[in-house]
Amino acid sequence: MKTKIYKKLMIGLCFLSTSLNAQDLLDKLNAEFPDKAVYEIATFKTTRIALGQSVETRKKGALEITLYNRYWDTPNPESQRFLADKVSTRFGLDYAITNNFTFGAGYTTFDKITDGYVKYRLLKQLKNSKKPSFSITLFQGISHRKLNDIPNSIYDPTTSSDKYSFTSQVLIAHKFNTNLSLQIAPTFIHRSSNVVNEDPNNHFAIGFGGRHKIGGHTSIVSEYYYVANPLKSIETYNVFMVGINWEVSDLMLQFHITNARNYAEDTFITQTVDNFNFKNPNLHFGVNATFILHTNKNKLK
Amino acid sequence: MNKTLLLLLFFLGSFAAKENQFIARQGQISFFSYTSVENIEAKNNQVLSFLDIDKKEIAISMLMRAFVFKKDLMYEHFNESYIESDIFPKASFLGKIIDFNPLEEEQTKMVFGKLTIHGISKEVEIKSTIKNTNGNYSISGDFEVMVKDFDIKIPPVLASNIAKSISIKFNFKYQPYED
Repeated sequence: MKTKIYKKLMIGLCFLSTSLNAQDLLDKLNAEFPDKAVYEIATFKTTRIALGQSVETRKKGALEITLYNRYWDTPNPESQRFLADKVSTRFGLDYAITNNFTFGAGYTTFDKITDGYVKYRLLKQLKNSKKPSFSITLFQGISHRKLNDIPNSIYDPTTSSDKYSFTSQVLIAHKFNTNLSLQIAPTFIHRSSNVVNEDPNNHFAIGFGGRHKIGGHTSIVSEYYYVANPLKSIETYNVFMVGINWEVSDLMLQFHITNARNYAEDTFITQTVDNFNFKNPNLHFGVNATFILHTNKNKLK
Repeated sequence: MNKTLLLLLFFLGSFAAKENQFIARQGQISFFSYTSVENIEAKNNQVLSFLDIDKKEIAISMLMRAFVFKKDLMYEHFNESYIESDIFPKASFLGKIIDFNPLEEEQTKMVFGKLTIHGISKEVEIKSTIKNTNGNYSISGDFEVMVKDFDIKIPPVLASNIAKSISIKFNFKYQPYED
């Protein structure tokens, strides 16, 4: 009796072992992959969604040369040109010291603002993670304005040292799938000088941004900034942008329409005086060109 | 009792068959695209492969995200825009080595099989050099694939940057496989 059970057990084992052998070699191989954490890449294609910053930083040694242009028409009836009466250009350079740390600076022709920033990538979103995982990047910006003679300036015209503004942001983004990424950005802005006392020196704002891929190389992007305590001396509007990102090898092109005229974070978030509509001079057409140069090349061992 | 012994032998025999399986955990695959505009080169050092010397079968699987490029931006474009590694994370190959003699020290044989990239499978034949140094196998070779065969879309403005035919090199060093 005992031997019978033994036999049956043996036969069973034989079947088991042969069926294991017949198992698809490829399935078995795929089970051999080590269990390593994989991070999401390309939550956004560029370090800026279009107006404001995105969670993205470049990899170590990447130098970004940027040229941003924004065009708009003056409201006077003699305006002949299509969206090209006025232009504001920002020249910028950004450099990634490490994969997570980037700094950059730029100068804007129209408002004569020099801006600089540092950006640190704190957390990266895990791929295929069961728990909710986010990308978090810290941003600190500073801007200085040169103009003394702007009419109705909210900055004190008598001193030069007080024409600074500081922007701090926590950029939080989630890539929902291959195509859709959303970002939320609590923002704190501090302006050192005030002409009008009723204007707040500190502003709280929150930024919403998103992108939706519509092809391998193109995506639709949009951004909106809500300011909790806007300026009181002048009427300002919240900033809205909608546009298309297009990447061609090392060159990224961003086309968009917006009501923002300035480029420095603090200025466009709190001091946009145009509402978003298609009347002149409210409609701004923007083209951001970003060229990426790799000063550090990986060695293929 | 004799029957039991026979069954035991059979069972051991089928168990021993596993010793004819070899695995490569750090297989190397690199690819090159040469055009007059730009050269693209990438390497994956974490390719997995099985070699079954009894069945003369070979299986290869790799993660597309494990490729390293000279320029980091190329890595992003490769994964995001061309190979779409979110949707098709792996590329694989399953084939048979024709006239394979496990005992020969060095032999050049044809491998026939199914190559799957970007979710598309193609029958291919690859000339490979198989070496046996004291029971340790290694397989190497190179071949070409056409980009259009695997439904990888290249926008017209970038058509001159990416070669129509990509050359692929591989090198696997196997060790005996244990479960």
